[in-house]
Order: sequence, then C-alpha cells, then structure tokens
Amino acid sequence: MAQTEARETATTETVPLPVEMAVQERRFNLRKLLVVIVLYLAAFWTLVPMYWVAISSIKSLRDLAHIPPRFFPTDPRLDAWVTIFERRILENVYNSLVVATLATIICLVISVPAAYAATRMRLPFKFVAIVVGLMGLVALLPPIASAIPLFLLGSDLGIIDEKYTLIILYTVLNTAFAVWVLRGTFMDVPMDVEEAALMDGDTRFGAVRRILLPLIFPSLFSIAILLFIFNWNEYIIALYFVNSMKTMTLPIAIQAQIPQHELDWGVVSAAGTIAVFPVLVAAFTLQRFLVRGLTFGVASGQ
Amino acid sequence: MAEVRIEGLTKYFGDTCAVNQLNLVVRDGDLVVLLGPSGCGKTTTMRCVAGLERPTYGDIYIGETRVNDLEPRERDVALVFQSYALYPHFTAFDNIAYPLRLRKTPKDEIERRVRDVAEMLGITHTLERPPGLCSGGEQQRIALGRAIVREPVVFLMDEPLSNIDALLRVYMRAEIKRLQHELGTTMIYVTHDQVEGMTMADQIAVMNEGTLQQLGTPSEIYDMPSNNFVARFVGSTPMNFIPGALRKENGKTVHKSDQFVIPVGDEMAERAAELCPGGVCTLGVRPEEIRFTMDDEGANQARVFLLEPLGSETILDIEKEGLLLKVKDVAATRVREGDVLSLSFNRFHLFDDQTGAAIR
Repeated sequence: MAQTEARETATTETVPLPVEMAVQERRFNLRKLLVVIVLYLAAFWTLVPMYWVAISSIKSLRDLAHIPPRFFPTDPRLDAWVTIFERRILENVYNSLVVATLATIICLVISVPAAYAATRMRLPFKFVAIVVGLMGLVALLPPIASAIPLFLLGSDLGIIDEKYTLIILYTVLNTAFAVWVLRGTFMDVPMDVEEAALMDGDTRFGAVRRILLPLIFPSLFSIAILLFIFNWNEYIIALYFVNSMKTMTLPIAIQAQIPQHELDWGVVSAAGTIAVFPVLVAAFTLQRFLVRGLTFGVASGQ
Repeated sequence: MAEVRIEGLTKYFGDTCAVNQLNLVVRDGDLVVLLGPSGCGKTTTMRCVAGLERPTYGDIYIGETRVNDLEPRERDVALVFQSYALYPHFTAFDNIAYPLRLRKTPKDEIERRVRDVAEMLGITHTLERPPGLCSGGEQQRIALGRAIVREPVVFLMDEPLSNIDALLRVYMRAEIKRLQHELGTTMIYVTHDQVEGMTMADQIAVMNEGTLQQLGTPSEIYDMPSNNFVARFVGSTPMNFIPGALRKENGKTVHKSDQFVIPVGDEMAERAAELCPGGVCTLGVRPEEIRFTMDDEGANQARVFLLEPLGSETILDIEKEGLLLKVKDVAATRVREGDVLSLSFNRFHLFDDQTGAAIR
C-alpha cells in the first residue's frame, strides 16, 4: 500500500525533462523514505496492541505477570485457547457472523435504493435535504442515547434476546450512515452513463443493475466491509439486548470472560484474538478495493 | 426512419422556462441542426425528443406516434452524448453490442453487426479494449457505433464533437454527415458551433432563450437572417452592426449613423417605412459585403487600425469614431495599417431596434 502510493506520487510529479529526472528521482527518494518511515511508525503503533493480545493468549501465567513485560513468551501454552473453546466461543462467533452479515446485507438492500432516489430522482429540493439531513443526525447520535429507549420498546414487544432483533437494530442504526456514504458515491457517477443505457433500450432498473452498480462495485464493497466491521464490533446495543448464550455476540462474550472466577488474561486475550481476526481479514480486502476504487474513475470518457 | 414533429413544446424547470412554444418539423431523412448559445434550450429540446425529459406542454411525434408518454427505450431513438457516456467497465465491443443484447439479438448476429459497424467507423482494432484505453477520437467513434448498430429511426447528437481536437473535428463532421446520408436516418444534431451547423445541416434551427429564432437552410440562415440574433450568431467573422436611423436626404432614403451615411434602396425603404415607422434601426453587413477603394475622396471614410492575416484571406479591422468594422479582403491585400479607405456597402440588412426583427 505504502509503496503503491509512493510510486503514484512519483509518476505524477516526475513528468518534466528526462535529463532532470535522475536528479529529481533522488530527491523524491528522500521524501519517499520519510513517508515510509512515518507509515511504519504508524503501523507499529497500531499493530503492537494486537500483537500484545495475541501473545498474551499463549503466555504462561508467570509470563503474564512478569515485570517488566515480556515481548516474547518464554513458555508458550494453549491452556487459554482450550478454555475459551470449552466455553463454546464458537457459538458466539457464529452469532456474531450471522448478525453482522445479515444486518450488513439488509442495510445495503435498503440504503442502495434510498441513496439512489436521493441523488437521481427530481424530488422537490427541500424534501431530499430534510430527509438526508435527518438521516445524518441519526448517524451522528451516540448509540447509547437510543439504547435505553430501544430496550424499553423491545421489552414491550417481547423481542429481547433474539438474533433478529439485533439484526433489525443494527440495520436501522447503520442505514443513515450507509445512505450518506452511498449518496456521495452515486453522485460521482455521471448521469450521462445511465441515460445512455436508457437510450440504448434498457429499463431504469436494468440501467442501475447492469451499469451503475458494476461501476460503483468497489465503493459498494468497501461500504459493505465497513458496515460489517461496525456490526461485528457493536457492543452497547448488544449489552442491552443479549441475555443468553442463544444470542450472545463476540464482544459480549469477551466481556463475559472477565468476572467469572478470577480474571484470566489469557482467556480474555484468546477471545480478543478471535474477535480481531475477521476484522483484519476484512481490512486487508477493503484496502485492495479502496485502491481499485480510487483508480476506477479513469475510464469515464471525459 | 421517420419524421419528427414538435408541436408547441414548452419545458419548465421549476420557474425557469427552458423551451418556449417550440414548433419544428424534421423531415424524414433530414439532418437538422439545433444551433444556439448555451442555455438556449437546444439540449432540452433534444432530451424531450429522446424521452429523458417530459415536456411541460406540447406534443412530440415520431412518425405518426405521439411519444410524450413513451419511455426512451420505446421510442427507438439513439443518442450520442457530449461526454460519449461510454460504459467504462465494458470493452468497446460490449459497449457497441449493449443495445443489441438488450433486444435479445442472436449472438452470431451481434458479432456480425458489431464488426460491420466497427469496420465502417475504422475502430476494429479497439474492440477488445475498454474505452478508457482508447483515444478521444476512438471513444467518439465507439459512441457513434453504439448509436448506429441498432438502426434506430432517429439519431440525436448532443454536441458530439465538442470534446475532440479541432483538426479531428473538421474531419469527423464530414464523416457524420456522410454516415447520415448513407444510412438515410433522420438526425437532430445539437451544437453551439455555427460552423458545424452551417457545414452539416440540411436545415438549421437557430434557438435563443428557449424560442426558435429561425428555421431554414444554411444559406437562408446566412443570407437572410430573420433577426439580429441570428445575424450575430451565424458567420465565422461576425456581421458588422451600425446603429442609426433612416432619414430622407434629397428625396433618397439613407441610413444615417454617427459615422456613415449609407443609401438604402427604394424597395427596402418602402418596407422599412411600413414595418419600422420610427426609422430607428441598425444596419447589419457581413464583412465580405463591404467594398472599399483606397482613396480619401469618397464618402464613408475610415481608418484601418489592424490587419488580421488568416492565410486564405485577410480581415481588415477598421475604426471610425468608436465603431469597429471587420472587412474581408484577399490574402495579398495592398492595404496597410493606418490607411484610410472609402467604404461602400454592397448588401446589407436592416434590423428594427425595438424588436430586433429584420426589415425585408
């Protein structure tokens, strides 16, 4: 990633005379080096805690309690991992996967047409502005502000401790955000291309499906991954709506490791490692698509 | 193939009137150019024909069918966009094949027709590439190919040449005209470039501020502009305008301005008396219709302050008391900057200052 970026700045800026290029190349190398150093520092800064969680899960108790802290476990063991699987962590993983995936998909199914309408339909201007504005407000609201009223509503309806309740709530809470982001994406695609499809004999729906969506697929995929990460990490709402192993998602399960018996850092770390893993995978995929999404607009014919 | 009939077309965007009471008949097989400055309603008119906009009032007929309520895909009309609007995620081949695929054309027929069109346009070598890897001219041809391939009844062109360089444009406008002649398909071509209009059109419809100013052949538009807007807009070296009024001098009518006294023929004087009783009118004369002699004897003298050699001809910029005139002369002109010329006005037009309409 860092390399691609650096290469791109280099190619855009070293256009001038070929004679000067060698000199310029060297000067840019220095700048490139600085950039790379900063990026490595930032990467180090963010990755160390993850590394710490991961090795803590295989450290012996003595290593865990050792002062000063040990960067490499002297006596690695898998006790914590055994314990965490015995405590049926995979069921929590399954719950989280189901909730996060379905909430993401449903959210996109709702927000793609909504964002499309908000950008493409000629509605009276204020109507769109008001609706989109309100949605932005919802997106900015801290989740805790809605958690308690939602819990009261949920218990009145008798739908506490159900996976579908979590799916509905996550969908609702993310839709506003998704519409906002998608709206920007749709606005970047010139109306012409879609109209061309209409002129070529396509229906409106066909033009969206065959032309618009494939065009914005990288962005769409990035948004989906983001939503998935939000859902995967969600804690506050789940705290209110999860009562049993049947619905318990991973963040709640990790927290549940803490008060039982004595605090076992190994077990908590093992659970944490499991929770981080899909996010890491998602982040790596996301990054590839983000790069693609940025370079995709080149072929717009303008 | 069909005639396009626009009757009383009016289009509002909110409170803004983009097209006002437009009547226009495009005869079957004709190439009609909608010509006008940006914002004159020409593109809106074309989009109404395409079905991308709904008229606020008025009817549009393609052939015998009233198409007001038909979706674009039901009108069998092809549109080439200014931006080409190619599908960046398809290859050139798929771009051209798209309209055929939507019509469930058999695969081998698609293959054959796309290849035929590509050959006709000279873009066979680009077919496997995405449009982003094609040059501007090639993209333009791909867009044309996509329009041609399905043999629509009407072609609509929205400034298709404005994004390619000047040299290629000269070549492409002939090419489009040739294609249109070969296919015999009715075409509505929108442009703000009057040269494009003049060179390509069977009929030009000059528009301004949402209304049709004049409909006619290129030579009618050029030689007999119906008002001062058309006169000003058409002509690559613009028409000269001399504000003034008609007066009687020694029993003869003259157009008298601060700078010049120009005799007006009896016939024109009669009509002017009828159409423009006040006599306040502007005289318009094309640069090639001003004759001059290089002496300082005659009437209507003026000084040359600049020569603009264009290779094939020279434009003389002439100034008199704040009025600037452009006069066409041969390339090897004997006139030099600072010379004083006596001007005579060969053919000219009179425009009523109040209405702008031509007096004729």
